Amino acid sequence: MGVTVLQQYPVPENKTGTHVIELLTKRILALGATQQGQFLVDCESYLSHPQMGTTKTVHILHNSEQPASVFSILESGTKNIHVIADGLFDLLMMKLSHQYTSKKQTKIESKGPRFELGDFCVKLGSVTMNQNFKGILIEIEYRPCVMANAVWSLLREFLQGLLGPAVPVQPPQHLLSKMNEIYTPIDTIYQYLEHFSAYRKVTGMRNS
Amino acid sequence: MNQTINVEQLNSALTSLRTLRSSVSHVFETLSNGLRADHGEDGKDKFLMELQELLNNVNINLRELDQTVNSLPIPTAPFNLGTTTYLSQETTQDRQALYTQLVNSYKWTDKIHEYSSFAHTLLSQNSLKRSYINSGSTKRRGKMQSNHNVAPVQVDNVINNIDRSYSDMKITISRPFASNAVVQINLSHVLKAVVAFKGLLMEWVMVKGYGETLDLWTESRHHVFRKVTENAHAAMLHFYSPTLPELAVRSFMTWLHSYVNLFSEHCKRCGCHLHHTSLLPPAWRDFRTLEPFHDECKQ
Repeated sequence: MGVTVLQQYPVPENKTGTHVIELLTKRILALGATQQGQFLVDCESYLSHPQMGTTKTVHILHNSEQPASVFSILESGTKNIHVIADGLFDLLMMKLSHQYTSKKQTKIESKGPRFELGDFCVKLGSVTMNQNFKGILIEIEYRPCVMANAVWSLLREFLQGLLGPAVPVQPPQHLLSKMNEIYTPIDTIYQYLEHFSAYRKVTGMRNS
Repeated sequence: MNQTINVEQLNSALTSLRTLRSSVSHVFETLSNGLRADHGEDGKDKFLMELQELLNNVNINLRELDQTVNSLPIPTAPFNLGTTTYLSQETTQDRQALYTQLVNSYKWTDKIHEYSSFAHTLLSQNSLKRSYINSGSTKRRGKMQSNHNVAPVQVDNVINNIDRSYSDMKITISRPFASNAVVQINLSHVLKAVVAFKGLLMEWVMVKGYGETLDLWTESRHHVFRKVTENAHAAMLHFYSPTLPELAVRSFMTWLHSYVNLFSEHCKRCGCHLHHTSLLPPAWRDFRTLEPFHDECKQ
């Protein structure tokens, strides 16, 4: 598991999402990448029942890169608590359905092609919420390195080369606090949750 | 006239080479067969005697070969075809094929001449000698021989001293293969390496990523660490010095330690992190200045 950066890619107003994905696919194939299947990251959020005191939100995420794991993040005010469990956790959430109710209309996912390019792994995801296209998220993983602060400027160079100078590249908010720690799969999940929450807040397409 | 003598000498040299080969293979054959029934009661001594005799034979044959080879004149220029060129004008049907064969073998000897002269210059320049054949007086040789066979305590001392001088490089010693040390190096959170020692001489290096399992033979799954392994082999040979093995190990470790900024430092020549074709970070470190370069930029 190497350091991963999740980057929102703006979709121009007169273009469709599929068009932009095709454009990026062409660009990355021209760099010499090979396509290695598809990927999918999805997120479903549950609200606790008002009778249990203050309402809390639990986000359940799956990542095709870690197919045997279920990631859950509990929002409790200032701090987020995460639990990584195996696939049975989904069934447990169903059992808890009268304590935690699912917000079905906010089920959001990012899916698309997955590419390998040298030691990089690039995923071009189209984000959809309830079958509505919301935007494009690009995931870049540099697999040999596990420390974000060591590899950040290398990753920025790669991202800038791939996305062009028009896209500003900043370290993700979540990564900033973890620059000196060993990168783990849950850090990718936090980055997805950050972006998914931003997508949910806007109606229509997100471009910033 | 001169050429006929040449051929005779060459012939005798080839014959002595053949005898040497057969005597050497005889030694190995006897060795692999081990003790036989006809060695009788005190078979061990007889076997050793027989072996001694065979080795003496090898020695004699080797000396013969040496003599014949020394008397051979060194060809200075490519061979001249001489009168054989007239073969092309041969009119008899069944001899016309000879000319093409002649030309082919001429090309072949020409190539051998070229390659061997290249090899000769390369080998005479190159200091990467892993044997002691040309290494000076017998007195020194006796001393150097011992570097293959150093007491484990001494090896431990040398390596532990190096370990203590770096805070971000952890070195652990294990001895899975009898007395020879296998050293595992953890360099910060960047890489892991395993170095096999023979006495105080480094024999093998394998570099891998932080999260990978370490063993001596399987390569890393990341391109960048495969490149670093390749370069580490070059460094191991570069620093190799049988007379000062401790210095060699220390220099190699200093060099390896410079990889602590493998991902964060950019290439000193092109100023980029990633090389535009290989997409690798600067995986080469200069032997003296320890500055990072891409493989493609280092020249």
